[in-house]
Amino acid sequence: MLIKRSDGRAAKQRLASAYQGLSAGGLDRRAFLRQAGITGAGLAALGSLGTGRVEAAEGSMGVLDHAQPVTRVKNICTHCSVGCTVTAEVQNGVWVGQEPSWDSPINRGTHCAKGASVRELVHGDRRLKYPMKLVGGTWQRLSWDTALSEIADKMMAIRQASGPDSVFLLGSAKFSNEGAYLYRKFAAFWGTNSVDHQARICHSTTVAGVANTWGYGAMTNSYNDIRNAKTMIIMGGNPAEAHPVSLQHILSGKEINRANLIVIDPRFTRTAAHATEFMRIRPGTDIPIIWGLLWHIFENGWEDKQFIEQRVFGMEKVRAEVAKWNPQECERVTGVPAAQMRKVAELFATQKPATLIWCMGATQKTVGTANVRAYSILLLATGNVGAPGTGANIFRGHCNVQGATDFGLDVTSLPAYYGLDENAWRHWCRVWDVSYESMIARFDSKAMMETPGIPTTRYFDAVTLPKDQVQQRDTIKGMVVFGHGGNTVTRMPEAKKGLEKLDLLVVVDPHPTSFAMQSDRRDGTYLLPACTQFECDGSRTCSNRSAQWGAQVVKPIFESKSDYEVMYRLAGALDVAAEKRNMPVRFQAEMFKPFDIRDSAPTAESLLREINRGSLSTGYSGISPERLKLHMQHQDKFDLVTLRAKPDAPAEIRGDFYGLPWPCFGTPEMRHPGSHILYNTNLHVKEGGGVFRARFGVEREGKTLLAEGSYSRGSEIQDGYPEFTVAVLKRLGWFDELTAAEKASLDRYFGANIDRASWATDLSCGIIRVAMEHGCVPYGNGKARADAWNLPDPIPVHREPIYTPRTDLIAQYPTLPDRRGFRLPHLGQSVQNRSREIAPNFPIVLTSGRLVEYEGGGEETRSNRWLAELQQDMFVEINPADAAARSISDGAWVWVRGPESDSKARVKALVTERVGRGVAFMPFHFAGWYQGEDRRGKYPPGTDPIVLGESVNTLTSYGYDPVTFMQETKVTLCQISAA
Amino acid sequence: MARMKFLCDSDRCIECNACVTACKNEHEVPWGINRRRVVTINDGRPGERSISMACMHCTDAPCAAVCPVSCFYTTADAIVLHDKDLCIGCGYCFYACPFGAPQYPRVGNFGSRGKMDKCTYCAGGPQQDNTAVEYTQYGANRIAEGKLPLCAEMCSTKALLAGDSDMIAQIYRERVQRRGYGSGAWGWRTAYRETVTI
Amino acid sequence: MRALRTGLLALLLAFGAVIAGEAQTTPAPSGNQPNPPAPLPFSDRGQPQADELELQLMLQGRREVGRITIPNQQAATLIQPAGREWRAFHNRTLAWVGGVAVLGMLTLLAVFFLWRGRIRMHDGRSGRTLLRFNLLERANHWMVAGCFIILGLSGLNLTFGRHLLLPLVGPEAFSAVAQWGKYAHNFLAFPFTLGLLLMLLLWIKDNIPNRRDITWLRQGGGIVGSAHPPAARFNAGQKMVFWITILGGGAVAVSGYFLIFPFFATDIAGMQLSHIIHSVLAVLMIAAILAHIYIGTLGMEGAFDAMGSGQVDLNWAKEHHSLWVEQELAKGRDAPAPGGAKPV
Repeated sequence: MLIKRSDGRAAKQRLASAYQGLSAGGLDRRAFLRQAGITGAGLAALGSLGTGRVEAAEGSMGVLDHAQPVTRVKNICTHCSVGCTVTAEVQNGVWVGQEPSWDSPINRGTHCAKGASVRELVHGDRRLKYPMKLVGGTWQRLSWDTALSEIADKMMAIRQASGPDSVFLLGSAKFSNEGAYLYRKFAAFWGTNSVDHQARICHSTTVAGVANTWGYGAMTNSYNDIRNAKTMIIMGGNPAEAHPVSLQHILSGKEINRANLIVIDPRFTRTAAHATEFMRIRPGTDIPIIWGLLWHIFENGWEDKQFIEQRVFGMEKVRAEVAKWNPQECERVTGVPAAQMRKVAELFATQKPATLIWCMGATQKTVGTANVRAYSILLLATGNVGAPGTGANIFRGHCNVQGATDFGLDVTSLPAYYGLDENAWRHWCRVWDVSYESMIARFDSKAMMETPGIPTTRYFDAVTLPKDQVQQRDTIKGMVVFGHGGNTVTRMPEAKKGLEKLDLLVVVDPHPTSFAMQSDRRDGTYLLPACTQFECDGSRTCSNRSAQWGAQVVKPIFESKSDYEVMYRLAGALDVAAEKRNMPVRFQAEMFKPFDIRDSAPTAESLLREINRGSLSTGYSGISPERLKLHMQHQDKFDLVTLRAKPDAPAEIRGDFYGLPWPCFGTPEMRHPGSHILYNTNLHVKEGGGVFRARFGVEREGKTLLAEGSYSRGSEIQDGYPEFTVAVLKRLGWFDELTAAEKASLDRYFGANIDRASWATDLSCGIIRVAMEHGCVPYGNGKARADAWNLPDPIPVHREPIYTPRTDLIAQYPTLPDRRGFRLPHLGQSVQNRSREIAPNFPIVLTSGRLVEYEGGGEETRSNRWLAELQQDMFVEINPADAAARSISDGAWVWVRGPESDSKARVKALVTERVGRGVAFMPFHFAGWYQGEDRRGKYPPGTDPIVLGESVNTLTSYGYDPVTFMQETKVTLCQISAA
Repeated sequence: MARMKFLCDSDRCIECNACVTACKNEHEVPWGINRRRVVTINDGRPGERSISMACMHCTDAPCAAVCPVSCFYTTADAIVLHDKDLCIGCGYCFYACPFGAPQYPRVGNFGSRGKMDKCTYCAGGPQQDNTAVEYTQYGANRIAEGKLPLCAEMCSTKALLAGDSDMIAQIYRERVQRRGYGSGAWGWRTAYRETVTI
Repeated sequence: MRALRTGLLALLLAFGAVIAGEAQTTPAPSGNQPNPPAPLPFSDRGQPQADELELQLMLQGRREVGRITIPNQQAATLIQPAGREWRAFHNRTLAWVGGVAVLGMLTLLAVFFLWRGRIRMHDGRSGRTLLRFNLLERANHWMVAGCFIILGLSGLNLTFGRHLLLPLVGPEAFSAVAQWGKYAHNFLAFPFTLGLLLMLLLWIKDNIPNRRDITWLRQGGGIVGSAHPPAARFNAGQKMVFWITILGGGAVAVSGYFLIFPFFATDIAGMQLSHIIHSVLAVLMIAAILAHIYIGTLGMEGAFDAMGSGQVDLNWAKEHHSLWVEQELAKGRDAPAPGGAKPV
């Protein structure tokens, strides 16, 4: 039988050399590190020994030595955003076992394939072990000091010649909150806004769309709260593979409430298999579906009229747009029969509470923001926001993508969504204790300081485009990447060109990542080994806004360093390089001034304290390290459904919501419990209640933007109100309730401008305190916006994908005209007009998505032997009819060709009815092959992932959301032929 | 004495493979040996079901019945284990097993397929409990520590139940009554000649 | 171990409570309404219950095969109730067939021996011999025979050793014997097969059945009666042994190779079938070859020489292979007298 028992060198080493040289006294840390990379333990031995007794090799031991004490350490899974607690068993500094984390209210002991195998990450025989650089096309080892000083020197050279904006800083959703915050701060001190991370390519449109609707760009409820829902729609998401543990809550809720689980997707996913209703749609028609559902809802009067009247602005304009989507038009565009639309609409609007769950099927579109807005409007129209069992349950991607977004690894904002305007900069300068003027001096100009940077979806365009097309001093010359794969961005053939043109490429990651392999660079590439989050302390925020503290399980393995240390030492190296070049700018001393530095790294606790001090607007201010650690310690005291600490919990946490889901207003001492459910008027603000955020002014077109007759429980103002400022306090006569210390703080920072000090900029938290004393929510009580006038499409309208098979619809539903954004040209319509010539030769819609075994760009998970074994080949799902027409059999090799750059990919065919006719699906986790070429040799020796394959992004094509430059990964065209 | 069984609730199983990697992690099972696996039937169609399958620790186990060297034994908890020191790797148990549980470290070689390996219900083997020797040959012995198999403990949706037959049947029964549907106890008729009556 | 049982049970209870506890901790959000009928999820629509499906599979002899991502496609088989039939075959049918065939043949031969005794040469030894099998033929015969004996014994050991030998020698020793027997079985398959091929080439021309064979058979081959029907180089009985060896051995070898290279060319059903064919034919062959051995040794005076020295007594040859003797004599290849006497 031709089973692949081993994949090249990957597994053979393990099998062949089980137990070599382990010390007799047990596996200590040094022995372990010596062994890591050449051996596994345990059953690995069974294949290699002879006939009689299967002997344990001499002096060896099992993974866990029962004769020695075991330490248990709690950390958080580093894969998806559900936030499963991982309980590690540690002996002699080696992670020897993993036990179920029964106490966690989120995962309750369980894991998915990735979570159950995280231990392998820290055994890491495929990890990057020491700094390396590319010299003439070959990898050379070098010391940390040399590497950092060379990198710093090159960065300063670029800065000198082209300005700080010519270095693109790419951060990571794998950072802890503290790491993400520090990197954003680093970008600010470096002097650029071109600092981005994975949220750009997963939920940037969600954040933009949802924040523009009701104030905060995050999941409104929680995974646990889904247990309360009576109807759930999962649209554009496959949580069974992407967030498996969330299915525990979804399926339990479905069972307990006998709830409707409706899956709307182009693909019959593993989630759809558990649905009570499955609606197969044409890819890229989300808005017509939502408007089609609303058409039935409005037609039958199923909408929540009181909710709309009290808490929603601009629903009339939605009605006008929805009226166009009668069942006939809806079916013509989406392919969904009217009867099913009516049924789903009725269920969603009448079987309440109902929740809408979405993921990247909604967001990774040229109309991503509009999609998300439409989804939100559906929730608003049916009154399904702000109560248990309702809400926009947005499943974020990576383990800390929420936190990294919150801390401004975003080209449009400083930490905590303050934006980039002068007020924002002045606020953060106060927090950082630096002068505003000194910060301006770090940038090319004040204008550049307030201009959104270049996003990760287009960095390569900013490298390759002519200088005059990029609105900054020079094109991008250098790139520093922390924890990010290179195969995650569309148009890889173009990205390859961009990478090859860079002067400097620095990758800081536990693995070499696909950046090491995907271009033909020969010099100027550095790989620095970062440790995983299991090897350092820090908090991370899961999708439901709960923050959890992860404690270091083991010290960083090999020569890897924590993100904190890398940044600290890089800042120091930059100082040296600046001095050498006689440049006045300095980094380390100013930037790390407030932090405790231990072993050349700021401590996570001190970083989080600065976050608490500055991140008032999102209510990260109450989330102190002490409170988070207490929550981790007493996980068992939190209720499974309400997430609230039960009456028998210790006094310090009693009444808290688990992980203090933000907003957790005020100082930690105020003991705000966090907000489990956003905008929940049924609770007092001090109990985690809330209202829609008054973020967009008080009046528009003669109509109020403040809530009417709706307020959170116990509010002294029983109507809408604007956000709290000193001026508002004075008007209400509450100003003198501020303590002397609070007034002094306001006076110190604002002086004559004291009236303009708001709850979000008052570092003393006095305004917040006073507002909450009166039962008022500091951010004001506004209406949610059905009409977001500041967006390109204030009311979402259907726009055909850039590459659409329905060229007949382009004239009626064109994409937005060509424009500029994020310092770059955006040529959506010009490219869309190509569809007419492209479509006949590329008749299959190509969409992409997740596999449960892998995550993100997949380097980490494809290097994990326990996961890699489960998915050994990149594949394309193709419908049996399409396969038969092309004489393609299941498991055969095929070429998939994309519509741009003559791109092609050699993958295996998976013939299945999961995809409908004319649709193909490819997972996005693979890299290492490029257009049929196996590039394994391009990885530094011993660090190549076990499984390699073609990246789907070799085939994906142009298309960007106008608001966030989200890339289009879900709808493009392709052709498939037998290889 | 408990009668240990597995029960996979296919209405909950989402093919997340946690059971598979939990097993690999706990016992350091090498590449190519799959003590547990998840099979999806009717893939991509209504009726799609995923079922996590491993050794079911059958009543009157066929593997034990056909073993030419009689290397199988059943513990007091009705867990079917085998002695690798006696196993000759003939493959008979694989022919007899209704669930494809037996695994062999080598294939295609005419000398030997190696010692058979299979799910131990996290109960180790005939060696002394929780010793290095036992771990090397059979993996961890969680049962001796008073724990249950890790695959079930870590199942993302709690689809896979492990424990005493009566207890897990009761959990499943309550679940089915609560939600109003249930596809039954997979493999129970074949393995135990019984099923969970609702 | 025993002390831990209590802990285990406690944990079981706790685990059960964790799962079952969901019902109690979850408040019903929509008041006290009775639960409406549950909408059926897609995975249950139009599908049989697990136990019904298993019953169907068993009755129809089917397997339930799904999709799996690991390359080992054997793992895609979820349930194969056919394992039960194979078990019944292995433990019952094969044991009976094997037992009856082998023991039955031995009994038959014993009875025959008692009744007929050793078949002597009618005219006694002539003192002159004829070369019946040359060195190549004999060497090949003994290679095949040797292999066959070991293959047979090790094979029988896998079927009966557990009941016969194991209680006598204990599990460790028995496992060692079985293990080495298995190695021997696997490796000797190759010389055995080669020998069969050579045998086929060497002897096929003399083993083509013809009309004389019918006469020979009708007269009981001279074994039952006292007549000596004429026969060429091989009489019908020997031809039967030849064809049993070639065809049976060939089939056993082919089915054996399927088992040696598991799943290389077939699936689990094919493996089970291969094993059934292999084992049934093997025990039948063993029975047949027992008879062959009896006739060649104990049963008939002078027969062993053919494969021993290769030289058979002229009288023996005349009795059993009159036509062959005529042919040989016509060729002028007279048998040399013992003691190196020159041909006449």
